[in-house]
Amino acid sequence: MSGACILEVKGLSIKFGDFTAVDNVSFCVDRGEIFGFLGANGAGKTTTIRMLCGLLAPTSGSALVGGLGFEDGGLGIKKIVGYMSQKFTLYNDLTVGENLDFAAGLRKLEPAYAKKRRKELFELIAFNKPLSSMVSSLPGGIKQELALAAAMLHDPEIIFLDEPTSGVAPASRARFWALIRRITGLGKTVIVTTHYMDEAEQCGRIALMRAGRLIALGSPEELKKSAFSGPMAELDFKGTEAASFISGLEKARGLLELSPHGMRWHAAFKDKAAMDAALAALPASASAALIRPSLEDVFIRLVEGAER
Amino acid sequence: MKSFNIHRAYSIARKEVMHILRDPFTLSLALGLPVMLVTFFGYAIDFEVKDINLAVSDRDNGPSSRRLKEIFAASGYFRLVETGQAGPVEMLDSNRASAALFIEPDFSKKIKGGSRVMAQFVLDGSDNSKAAAVMGYLPGIRRAAQIRMAATPPRERLSAETRFLYNPELNSRWFTVPGLAAIIIGLLAILLTALTVAREWENGSMELLLSTPVRPFEIIAGKLAPYGILVLAGVSFVYLVSRLVFGVPFAGSHLLFLAACLLFITAALSQGLLISVLTRQQQVAMQFSMISGLLPSMLLSGFIFPVESMPAFFQYLTMLLPPRWFMAAARGITLKGADLGELAVPFLALGLLSAGMLALAIKKFKTDLE
Repeated sequence: MSGACILEVKGLSIKFGDFTAVDNVSFCVDRGEIFGFLGANGAGKTTTIRMLCGLLAPTSGSALVGGLGFEDGGLGIKKIVGYMSQKFTLYNDLTVGENLDFAAGLRKLEPAYAKKRRKELFELIAFNKPLSSMVSSLPGGIKQELALAAAMLHDPEIIFLDEPTSGVAPASRARFWALIRRITGLGKTVIVTTHYMDEAEQCGRIALMRAGRLIALGSPEELKKSAFSGPMAELDFKGTEAASFISGLEKARGLLELSPHGMRWHAAFKDKAAMDAALAALPASASAALIRPSLEDVFIRLVEGAER
Repeated sequence: MKSFNIHRAYSIARKEVMHILRDPFTLSLALGLPVMLVTFFGYAIDFEVKDINLAVSDRDNGPSSRRLKEIFAASGYFRLVETGQAGPVEMLDSNRASAALFIEPDFSKKIKGGSRVMAQFVLDGSDNSKAAAVMGYLPGIRRAAQIRMAATPPRERLSAETRFLYNPELNSRWFTVPGLAAIIIGLLAILLTALTVAREWENGSMELLLSTPVRPFEIIAGKLAPYGILVLAGVSFVYLVSRLVFGVPFAGSHLLFLAACLLFITAALSQGLLISVLTRQQQVAMQFSMISGLLPSMLLSGFIFPVESMPAFFQYLTMLLPPRWFMAAARGITLKGADLGELAVPFLALGLLSAGMLALAIKKFKTDLE
């Protein structure tokens, strides 16, 4: 992390009545970064993003979004950020052109400027259908890309994407993430929430949230290192009886984490000596391979660690 | 409303017009309802009772009894029907007649002799509004009979003549313009507004609107204006059809009528907005709007049942309802040609209720956005 942050959050909290939806969250986002929020439903990702878009006022704490705070009720922030909500993309009963004209009208863009931006953005997302296409006739992935274009019509510096790929086909998801990388390549900052691990892997840094709290923050590699200091083994019992060994392994000294992954198990240890000792009694039919922990392992370890 | 921006409100209004044009339900409701109402009230629903089937049992069959029958037929309200084999009572029982007339055997002879005669008139009381209307025709017929049939017409010392002002023939179509305007505004404005705003909540687009610098008041103005115009078009349609097709007179100031409509529309749009904020779902909003929009306009406004004859509780209740005041103002303008001075109370009440409703809706809308 170097120099000035484009987004600076300090001790941000929001309460709805007695319920603390976001609890004392602090972080900093650099210009041009892809910053991801990872967490279960209700972890506070969307609420955090909504605050940073100027949609919600925080109960306490401060945030500077592109240097602007909440003093004016979020109005200044709304002018410089783009936001794509998880629930709504574009009006289905309007054409592509009408949707974009509407987005331009809401932001009072000059018609000539809006037209120029529209052309640039169509190139960026490689959209080649006529403006008069009804949105309802477009495939989900294209609709999502167009919604992103509509959110970027006023050329915002910071773009918030709230679960932009939920309900989109895997091929379209990959396309969308390529698009996100192109956008940050232009110097824009993208803040995105997801609960897909493969998408989180593509973020520059990830903020892991649980029950309103930020429980970990770092690049995918940093998170893996901090969550698992020692080695991790993947145990494959090849269909043979594993229950007795697993129940013994659970009590082994130096075991950090043990979790099932389909037919296999992932076991993380404090250090190599602990692993060797614990796996000495592994049945001959089973095999153990040293693996690099995935983000899913990190997620399980950190979230469960926070629950303990 | 600092820095209200007309361009943003216009963008929202323009988008709303697109929605309306592409939504068959809204469009057909907005266009179809006024047409349907005018047809219903213009042709089918007639509070006047005409062509009542009158079964006659004439046991006299003399010149005077025939004259009495002529008088009934000539009134235009009755149609004499042959009783045939069945007696008049059977005709009533089987709904082939709504009234029966019994003439005694010596009717003509007694009249000639100058003695008192009787004719019995029996009325089907199962439809009380019809019976009440027919009762109203009887004194006139009796008077006509006395004058034309008596050997020496009776000298009347005191006679009460009733004349109806403003609507001399008590033509019920004349009530159409104010009544239908109330229903169109009360139902359409509330329902369409509630649906359109609830839809933005339901599909999550309200959040997207709010993520832009657009102000809540701009959203309200932009979303409601097209529906206000749509509803006004419906009222204009009813007005034109009533005047051109049914020849309904319009005694007062058009400008004043427009002002009354605008005030009532404001109240109705606000009510729709309030419903949408409270329900946030199109389905629920629709049910709420139907009940809270249609019932007061139909039943508690004085359109069908006069407010004065309601129980005291309902009379007070109607004072809180914009349709009642709109109806009073609209009837005063269309039929009596009343001016603002004479309609000060309804206009003041309508204005206050509209302003209150709008303020409440805006406040609730704004606080709900957090």
